[in-house]
Amino acid sequence: MEYLLHILILIGIYVIAGVSLNLVCGYTGLLSIAHAAFYGVGAYAAALLGLRFHTPFAVSLAAGIVSAMILGVIVGAPSLRLHEDYFVIATFGFQVITYSVMNNWVSFTGGPLGLPGIPQPVVFGMRISSHWGFLALTWALAALVFVFARTLVRSPFGRVLRAVREDEVLAQSLGKDVARQKMTIFVVGAGLAAIAGCIYAWYITFIDPTSFTVQESIFMLAIVILGGPGNLWGSVLGAVFLVSVPEMLRFVGMPSSIAANMRQILYGLALVLLMMFRPQGLIGEYELRGK
Amino acid sequence: MPTQVVANGVIAASAYALIGVSFALIYRVARFFHIAHGVIFTAGAYCVFLCQVFLGLPLAVCIPLAAFSCASFGAVTELMLFAPLRRRGASPAILLLASLGTYVVMQNLISLLFGNDMKALRVGPPTEGVPILGARVTPVQLATLCTALLLVLAVAGVLRCTDTGRAVRAVADDAELAKAAGVDSDRVILWTFAVASALVGVAGVLVAMDVGMTPTMGLAALRMGVGAALGGGVGSVGGVALGALVLGMAQHLGAWKTAAQWQDTIAFGLLLLFLLVRPQGVLGRPLRKVTV
Repeated sequence: MEYLLHILILIGIYVIAGVSLNLVCGYTGLLSIAHAAFYGVGAYAAALLGLRFHTPFAVSLAAGIVSAMILGVIVGAPSLRLHEDYFVIATFGFQVITYSVMNNWVSFTGGPLGLPGIPQPVVFGMRISSHWGFLALTWALAALVFVFARTLVRSPFGRVLRAVREDEVLAQSLGKDVARQKMTIFVVGAGLAAIAGCIYAWYITFIDPTSFTVQESIFMLAIVILGGPGNLWGSVLGAVFLVSVPEMLRFVGMPSSIAANMRQILYGLALVLLMMFRPQGLIGEYELRGK
Repeated sequence: MPTQVVANGVIAASAYALIGVSFALIYRVARFFHIAHGVIFTAGAYCVFLCQVFLGLPLAVCIPLAAFSCASFGAVTELMLFAPLRRRGASPAILLLASLGTYVVMQNLISLLFGNDMKALRVGPPTEGVPILGARVTPVQLATLCTALLLVLAVAGVLRCTDTGRAVRAVADDAELAKAAGVDSDRVILWTFAVASALVGVAGVLVAMDVGMTPTMGLAALRMGVGAALGGGVGSVGGVALGALVLGMAQHLGAWKTAAQWQDTIAFGLLLLFLLVRPQGVLGRPLRKVTV
């Protein structure tokens, strides 16, 4: 039972991450491989504040979101000016730099040893420490993020995002401030990803840079693409699928030494097959199709 | 500044130049970021390892075998993956993701087959290195420098002076137009993939002989190659070589002046700076799709 709860909590975390990336990638067409950096910043913010200052839950969460949004501005400002491939490479660069900082700024982040013993959050006077508690917290936040995203997407702002995705120049010629919209959604996506990171830090109570690498960004991208870019429920499906299927590999009797690699192979294959046969994912409305 | 740092920078730059030039070839001709190029780099090294350790073949046989294998890998991925996608009108984003997926699958296959530990290739007894102008350069490093130089010059020469090179440049400019002029664009792209993959495979072998190899080394190497290509200008072989030189020097100077663990950050920061300030590179022509 505990195991099932654990899986559900992880799914919840990745639903948040997936939805946030979907806003940026699926709805606006910005292929970003930097998302794990924002996720990681949220985690590190929550961890550091919790460890050093024992700040309350709301403060840590807000700090995580704000830190990620600041990083979002730093990454977005130079990168969003670039088109397509160059944008991807730029986000890749920032992801690597962020990881490098996490790994090498030992005095601040603990470096490769990570930050152990992160205090668990206290929400409305109750300390969240059991699996059930985290399940409730994770899915409550996931629901909030989902509703927020859905409101955003159904708003006029959301329509502009889709216009940007379909034809950026046309959107601009119709008077939409494309640059600002892209920056806004990029920063919002970063902030939402941080929420997932905070939950991760509180749940596992230990973080280190290896959880926030390019592979993690690719995993989040796979969730969005598998579920369907441009469809929020798709991100939920994607998260469910990509978190639970590798776990099922465990029961097939695969030795743990090769499980990690097999999992990665699964993601890679999923990406390739999706691109070949179903670029719109399971239930997506957007196909990443060429111009 | 000590000549050793300069020497290290130049040697690193030669590898980056080879990776960058081969990457740029594919990028110009097939128009997308072929991330899996990084794992072909790794595959080259591991092919030699396989031949040397399991088949007991001498190095002189292993290396051409590895180059051929890499060329095949490249050609196969183009034939089975990118060409069909291109025919269906896939965007560069889709091709990039397909390449990314391929990278992940291949890298993990290498991990599964060979393990994640660092391996080394047998090149002979470890030597102290030849002293050149106050710096010590090992025979492998010297070989890297010479091989890379030769291959890069060869590529430049072929592109500029031969009919094949002209065909490649035509396809790079405008594949449809080239087809109309009688160039078999698809075949040009296929051969470009094969040659570029062989080149990057050789680069992988050279680097592995110098510092050893791990399954994940391809991504870091690709970063440098892409940095060199973007920084120097994708359209010009000389530009890429220049970019590689700058990157190699910056990396080693940075490591010497600050601390070794920041060298990746410095290198990548430089790449980003290039992207922002001059996306077409120092010697490149402006690319159509760079800014809005």
